[in-house]
Amino acid sequence: MTAREATVLALDSCLTEVMAIPGALDAMLVDHTSGMAVSFSGQPRGVDADKAAAALTEMLRASMDGLSRACPGDTVRIGDLLISTDQGHHLIRLTDTLFEGPLVIYVRLDMERSNIALARHRLRAISEQLLA
Amino acid sequence: MPSLDTLLAGLAKERATGALRVGRAGTVYLDDGRITYMTCAQVPGAERLLAAGGRVPESALRRLQADGGTERLLEEGRVTLGELQYCVLGAVLDAAFFLLPVTGARPRFRPGEGHWLGGRWYFDVPGLVRECARRRARLAETWPRADLDTSPVRAARRMPGQSVTLSDVQWEVAIGADGEATPLELAKRLGRSGYAVLLAVRRLAAAGLIVAAAETEPLPRRVKRLDVARHRADATAGGPLGPVVTGDPTDIELLLRLRKALEELT
Repeated sequence: MTAREATVLALDSCLTEVMAIPGALDAMLVDHTSGMAVSFSGQPRGVDADKAAAALTEMLRASMDGLSRACPGDTVRIGDLLISTDQGHHLIRLTDTLFEGPLVIYVRLDMERSNIALARHRLRAISEQLLA
Repeated sequence: MPSLDTLLAGLAKERATGALRVGRAGTVYLDDGRITYMTCAQVPGAERLLAAGGRVPESALRRLQADGGTERLLEEGRVTLGELQYCVLGAVLDAAFFLLPVTGARPRFRPGEGHWLGGRWYFDVPGLVRECARRRARLAETWPRADLDTSPVRAARRMPGQSVTLSDVQWEVAIGADGEATPLELAKRLGRSGYAVLLAVRRLAAAGLIVAAAETEPLPRRVKRLDVARHRADATAGGPLGPVVTGDPTDIELLLRLRKALEELT
């Protein structure tokens, strides 16, 4: 599935923007409701995009369930999620849309070359441009 | 008669432009062999999803459909290009999920006909078929009860636990399940995609929170000790190998629940 539009920020051109974040290794757009990989960039390096998207969706669902039990008020709306591993950082941004969703932007960042604060700021700006 | 995806693959190869009407079930729109839009009578279309979101009223969408199209919709700033693409993507995949398996209808191709929301995102037939198969497998993984997709559902009177966490769609489904509407009727009422509602129903059913309206007992009945003893006796009496099949539906239910619970433990 590909988009042929090249105006402001289309669903697929937004990944080009995400990949321009310093230290970005690969990125993916996921529809959280269906667990579908909307688009992905970078080398999949033996990772199946469909399976990765489904796994990310499950991870997010578990995070939301867990957080809703752990914080006061019992309802959560995750803005972004940062997971650091021994090999790098995983930054996940959830954007509410006016119908279903949320739309998930996932980016894997290089440990040495990335700046988390900058990456987080850029990712938020991109998601706002994409879905105002 | 060839299946719908074979027909579509043929049209894609011919680089056809037009609309393929599948009886009353729905329509597939193609542009130069690429699928631009798809409707299915069973599920809400992109217009309904957009309107349900509250930002674009249905009257405004009808006006835009008649004059201006998506160009003006984007110009007016009601939705961004990304949102429109995401909405069309969701609506088309949802329609494909329910339309592709349709058989029996005689599809008719009308050259040149297009859909006003099409052309912002393109789909290929193998991609659609693969995604629909993945979605179907995910439904079965969540809870293997396909009958819940088509029967009226209602909320269970008692929760088989002490506390539960629900997602937004699950909440809407739980309060909307009135024992008369089927999941797809609920989807139309809520302005949610059909698949999202099916998935929510299966997940809620797995948790014991939603039951088919016809079911009388929402909670799994305890297996009586007497029954267990009898099953064991049957098994030792040279019956068929493998687990004992009782034919009792509540028993199968219990086993499914057990398997689900075990899977969640790992």
